[in-house]
Amino acid sequence: MIGKPPWQRWFAILLAFAAIVAFDTDDARAEYGDVVINNYSDAAGMRPAIFPHWFHRVRFRCKVCHADLGFKFKAGGNEINMVKIIDGQFCGACHNGELAWSVENCNLCHSAKPGTPTQVHESTIQKLAPAALQKK
Amino acid sequence: MKIERVILPVLMSVFFGGAAAADAGKDLYNKTCAVCHAAGIAGAPRFGNAADWQPRLAGGTARLYASALKGTAKGMPAKGGNLAASDGDVKAAVDFMLASAKTASASPAKPVAAAPAPAAAPVAAAPKAVAPAATAAAPVAAAAAPAASIDAAANTSGVSAADINSFNRLLKPIGKRNPPPVEDGIHDPANDGTVALMAPLAAYGPLPKSLAGNRVNWVKAIDEKKINPRWDRQDANAAPVVIDLNIVREVKGSMPDVVYPHKQHTEWLDCSNCHPAIFVPQKGANAISMAAILLGEKCGVCHGKVAFPVSECRLCHSKKKEFRPAQATAPATK
Repeated sequence: MIGKPPWQRWFAILLAFAAIVAFDTDDARAEYGDVVINNYSDAAGMRPAIFPHWFHRVRFRCKVCHADLGFKFKAGGNEINMVKIIDGQFCGACHNGELAWSVENCNLCHSAKPGTPTQVHESTIQKLAPAALQKK
Repeated sequence: MKIERVILPVLMSVFFGGAAAADAGKDLYNKTCAVCHAAGIAGAPRFGNAADWQPRLAGGTARLYASALKGTAKGMPAKGGNLAASDGDVKAAVDFMLASAKTASASPAKPVAAAPAPAAAPVAAAPKAVAPAATAAAPVAAAAAPAASIDAAANTSGVSAADINSFNRLLKPIGKRNPPPVEDGIHDPANDGTVALMAPLAAYGPLPKSLAGNRVNWVKAIDEKKINPRWDRQDANAAPVVIDLNIVREVKGSMPDVVYPHKQHTEWLDCSNCHPAIFVPQKGANAISMAAILLGEKCGVCHGKVAFPVSECRLCHSKKKEFRPAQATAPATK
């Protein structure tokens, strides 16, 4: 690196700055309350599903899903599969082509990076004990 | 000059097939990697600096290859930003840098190891005199082993060396809140559906703000009729049965007592959501602690997952203790 021309040095500094801006982030920055469900997806060769709480609570009160449709308050705790959804249970109560878009839009739900574990994103417990969650 | 430097190794690698991989590694290093790895910009392990490479080598060469190919959160771009480079060449460049670190550690290590007893200053000075240019950084590393381990610890936490002492380094910067799905770290940017999803900020524009969670005050959003989420999935006109009943829970210590408002909760929830599974509907029958809430029980079933998180202490602990005035009079009588 002896006799490196100045433009190259400036380019190096610029590149380093760009690298800091672009890559200096932790992975945990998805929306608060986003739920990743990966009960069966990875094994079935699909991307895990992501449920955005924020989007749904603008349109429905908690009660609609958590009382009427029987969603338990537990990420991955409902053993949802595509048969149940097509049967009109869980997501399928609305995602039926009438109230909301239907199941042929696979990639709108199955949109997580492959291998993402089941989680409530940004949850307190995830922030408190990330190491413990990673071990699972 | 520059073109020669780039072309020559390429030509050489073509002519001398046996050494092709090594040359390709050196070539790629000079062309791409050296931009950061020569001077250690953005915390990059420096070329020929054993102390920089040792902690990273602890995870195995395979992991180093993976970091080089896919990039790291610390600042390493995938393939050093040169996506045109082949995987083999990137690995060769890693090998080239590792080899440099090994030769650097081998030569000055001898005088250090041979003379551990004398004071640190001459030890550090000696190899400097022997090999001033190429291995100048190595003796520093040998003399300052703790510094190297601190470096390693800092690097494992995913923070680049450049901003290790930055202000509020664990807080999420404003620009990184509510990112669109493509950038949020859990959605797969390669998935065509991800692009079609709504970005949170597009929806949050007209909604009242808060300091935590989604940074939206959802309760206020309903109060101000900024949103009108359905109470029934089919019937847009169905309205919730709102119960206006405050439950005061006296708490230990100096924290203000908790006022639990049924009103705001019944705007969103049905009685059966909480009673009787989470909360026994009887005063004094529920043992609630912050520990349980933090672990996702009781209030923590929602607060800390979708409802505002526990960082907002005063939203619940909102009623000043009754005995405050009595305490205040005690010192006055003295």
